[in-house]
Amino acid sequence: MREHARIEELIAIRSLGGLDPQDQASLTEEMASHGPDCAECLRLEADYAEVAGGLALALDPVAVRSELLEETVARLHGASDVEDRAVEDRAVEGGAADEPGGRRSRGSFLRPLVAVAAALVLFVGGWAIGAATSGDDGTTALEDPTVVAFQGDAEGSLAVAYTPGEPGAYLLGSGLSTPPAGSVYQAWMISGEVPTPGPCFVPSSDGSLFTFVDGELAGADVMAVTVEPAACSTMPTTTPVFVAEIQTV
Amino acid sequence: MLVAESHAHTNRDAGVAVELSGARDRELVHRIGRGDDEAFRDLFGRYAPSALALARRIVRQPFLAEEIVQEAYLAVWRNPSAYDQRRGSVRAWLMGMVHHRAVDAVRREETQRRRVEDARASDPIVVDDPADEVAREVDVPHERRAIRAALDELPAEQRQVIELMYFDGLSQSTISERLGLPLGTVKSRTLLGMRRLRASMAGVER
Repeated sequence: MREHARIEELIAIRSLGGLDPQDQASLTEEMASHGPDCAECLRLEADYAEVAGGLALALDPVAVRSELLEETVARLHGASDVEDRAVEDRAVEGGAADEPGGRRSRGSFLRPLVAVAAALVLFVGGWAIGAATSGDDGTTALEDPTVVAFQGDAEGSLAVAYTPGEPGAYLLGSGLSTPPAGSVYQAWMISGEVPTPGPCFVPSSDGSLFTFVDGELAGADVMAVTVEPAACSTMPTTTPVFVAEIQTV
Repeated sequence: MLVAESHAHTNRDAGVAVELSGARDRELVHRIGRGDDEAFRDLFGRYAPSALALARRIVRQPFLAEEIVQEAYLAVWRNPSAYDQRRGSVRAWLMGMVHHRAVDAVRREETQRRRVEDARASDPIVVDDPADEVAREVDVPHERRAIRAALDELPAEQRQVIELMYFDGLSQSTISERLGLPLGTVKSRTLLGMRRLRASMAGVER
């Protein structure tokens, strides 16, 4: 049986929202080393999520404004309409680019990127800088980091922090959804139309992510994230769910 | 003996009720996945009062708290398949999203120290609403009592770090600085406290 003491400690703290970025990275590594089907890891995650969720019930519930439900329901449908339109737009834009077997051609993979505008969302950027430079031991510090928020259809926020001209980058996310069973997210550095595979990752159960991209960014002008099989891919097999224009030189 | 048996019955009944409740929640999420508005409304009605209490406790701003709860529910609607039963109950998932968003909001907006100091200086920040009493009455008094009892039974130093982390949104390193404790002590107190809570809640939680 594998040792789970360290993982238990980190999961317990993470379930309360108190984990520092360095420990989050450490937990991600530990969990990865145990694999996605580690039964004890899943049990610990579930148990401590229940404890944390239960703590919310220790508070007296408060009255919810009667209009809040209707306002929320109205937003549901507003959101659905927007998403439907986006799907339609993509269908028109992508045409019949899918290849047999569900694998998309490189042209199809890159087409959505054409529409990407570089963006710095201040709150994401500010949070990312804070997280990336908060390491006590300096291991997570970036000098004069550039932070770029990803854009995409997936749930949550994702940003990349890097120092132009220096290798490596940090990916920082919040509110990210768990990829489907048997899948992972995979980062790609794209130069022109040539994608170079980056790390595969799965967000924490609370949707947060803090992971290091250990590779050469020089020459890449776009970073993208796709959903890939758990074994990771050498070429993207799906359309990116997140994309960001980067300037590495 | 009779008392012990009565407690056993109570716990078993509560456990059955909790499991039924969990199954119902999972069914609601399944229906939400099919675009069922009514299921969404049911889930909202079940947990919004507690979710709002949690968000208000952390961000201490009623309007921001509403926005956080709304965003968490929208996330459920947009991506119900993100719920993974292996990682806990629907309630834990939902409260986790609310907590995560609330803590993010607090940490983004200003330094935690300033927020806590401001909060202490101007308590009570959340104005009591007479309708809150109604919400309390329709909630889950058995679970609430059990969880409060479990918290009360913790050694004070363990309860303190857990409350600072969960309800004030402080990170382990901030608590370490705030309390003047080694980081390792904060971690170990958190783990010990969480283990106790886990054991205490085992008969009640989903």
